Amino acid sequence: MYGIIILILFPLVVSGLCSLVKDLRIQYAVSLLVALLHLSLSLVIFLGLLQPQLPTFFGIDSLNKLFLLILSNVYFWVVLVSYSYLQKPVMPNAEKGKKNYFLFLNFYLAANSAALLSNHFGMFWVAAEATTLSVVPLIYFYRNEEALEAMWKYLFLVSIGIAFAFIGILMLTLSAKGTIIEGEQLFYDEYIRNANLLNPIWLKASFIFIFVGLSTKIGVAPMHSGDVDATSNAPSPIAALMSGSLRLTALIGVMRIYQILRPTSSFEFSRTLLIIGGMLSLFIVFVYIFKVRNYKRMLAYSSVEHLGLITLGIGFGGLAFIGAMYHAVYNSMTKVVLFLTAGNIHRNYKSREVDNVRAVLNILPKTGWILLLAFLAISGIPPFGIFFSEIKIYEGMLFSDKPYLLALVMFFLLFIFVNMGKIIFTMLYKNSADEQPQTGTEQFELSHIISIILLIMLVVIAVASPDILYENISNIAHDFGMKL
Amino acid sequence: MENVLSILFCLSLFYVSITSRVKALVSVLIAQGLILVVLLMIPFIYEFSVFGIILPVTVLLVKVILIPRYINKVILDLDIKRRFEPTIQQMVFLPLVIVSMTVIFITASILSENTALDVIPFASGFSAIIVGIYIIMFRKKLIVHVCGFLILENGIFLFGTSVASDMPMMIEIGILLDVFVVVFLMGIALNKIKSTFEGFEVTHLGRLKD
Repeated sequence: MYGIIILILFPLVVSGLCSLVKDLRIQYAVSLLVALLHLSLSLVIFLGLLQPQLPTFFGIDSLNKLFLLILSNVYFWVVLVSYSYLQKPVMPNAEKGKKNYFLFLNFYLAANSAALLSNHFGMFWVAAEATTLSVVPLIYFYRNEEALEAMWKYLFLVSIGIAFAFIGILMLTLSAKGTIIEGEQLFYDEYIRNANLLNPIWLKASFIFIFVGLSTKIGVAPMHSGDVDATSNAPSPIAALMSGSLRLTALIGVMRIYQILRPTSSFEFSRTLLIIGGMLSLFIVFVYIFKVRNYKRMLAYSSVEHLGLITLGIGFGGLAFIGAMYHAVYNSMTKVVLFLTAGNIHRNYKSREVDNVRAVLNILPKTGWILLLAFLAISGIPPFGIFFSEIKIYEGMLFSDKPYLLALVMFFLLFIFVNMGKIIFTMLYKNSADEQPQTGTEQFELSHIISIILLIMLVVIAVASPDILYENISNIAHDFGMKL
Repeated sequence: MENVLSILFCLSLFYVSITSRVKALVSVLIAQGLILVVLLMIPFIYEFSVFGIILPVTVLLVKVILIPRYINKVILDLDIKRRFEPTIQQMVFLPLVIVSMTVIFITASILSENTALDVIPFASGFSAIIVGIYIIMFRKKLIVHVCGFLILENGIFLFGTSVASDMPMMIEIGILLDVFVVVFLMGIALNKIKSTFEGFEVTHLGRLKD
């Protein structure tokens, strides 16, 4: 019982508490405590030291163990940095948003944990919709026109997307008509066990609806637009949270239905759809990265790119699947660093336009160096983790039945890398034409420390490659019926 | 009985396609909510259970009372004009709806040969989903988009009852609660949009693009 209390109920209670307590410091302290407890328990569960008993509709397996740890990790760092972020808001009208910031943050944690831990499609749906509801007020934090538009679009698009996913879930029940699980509850393991009995037509329809619907939340093209708008206009810690964990919460829904389809005759169909989704995401980013002049939007597109790679890895299976799971871990941490750095730049330059940001390395040397390192990390330069996970995905693709797609992926990624590099280096080095080079000293802030810790973690996890992580990921692959 | 109610539900969709008044949409939402409540009450004719009554009562509360009242309040508060201009004419909209419905009904009857499903409720539910999407696509006013979203949700609900999915009641109520909060948040957002953009049409939302 303690599992559900710490992971879901406690954040929910603290969320209520935050609406009663007005003092921001107390809200922060309690939220940090919740985040720490959540992280510790997720870590203990991940290491296999504890196996908490969860009530009906919830369960723990290798897949959600990993994703829960990713969520706790991202959430902990975001909460840690939140107080100092709220002290120095970028825009004056953010004052009103502060009041309910921690309330929704805790609600976000509860909803995401519930979605990840659910082992029932209905429960997953309710919790996934709740994650949208928790994040929408946070997107509107800055209270300006862009934030309002982003919030409306995100709320509307994702609500419709999730409604589509619900149709998919209903079709899944239709696929079970006439089998022994007809009229049974929508538990994942029941469906996985009896997958071969299900009606393939309804199963395919169900996959289309769930995949397309949840794509609005994952940010897989062509349903990515609401997500990109929201990520680029939300405050940086929230953007980090969305890129690092919220997208994965939606992805787990797609992975569950994919797991059901794997042993059936509809498998090839679902696999093709995943690959198309992944390739299309990379293509869209490839096109837009030439046009984008807003660095937070660029990072949002980078999230679309990396989620596209993960989807591609899942679709290809085998070694690419292993790579995709590693990629989910590394991408989440790198995105936190990137968005926190972008937040620092936004605060100092008061603009999200690349053209207004110049000579970051001179004016904000610490932020500049971290941005440079984070850019190298996200582009897959060794020794950062993403290098190793991408190599695995590519290797899996190369030895699959569609190796030619790898050439296309490489082509897209090369241009994405070059254009992202161009934007980042313009921000870092270029001086304005009429100005003398400025130099500035920058104070060491909490966000810098967090970024450095995360960058070190990225290298250490990648180089040391802990057995427990590999073991867990191969267990996931095993659950999906893959031979390695 | 289910079929009669589903056909009534379909008729409400035709009304939605030809009306150009915001209030009429809200009345349709109430009517659809009532149809769903009656549909959920049918099993009680044969067997009454106190526990089972919770779901119809919640649907009544959320879909018939709370949401329409809230939308009416938003309309009054924001002083939204009663009529809305479509981006395509009603004369095009109605045939589009009729053609889509025909296709859905035929497809459903073909599908029912392989799978046991109630064709009429199934197809009616799916038609409502499609009509909801059309409303969102072809209307400019944001409040009408919210109504379109709710018609879509009602369609999913009808669709859900037709496939006889056994969702546990706790989850059904969770779903209703989620929908209500979505509408509530949309109402708040509309309020902000009115004060920020001086209007609530989708054409005002064009700042974010590459």
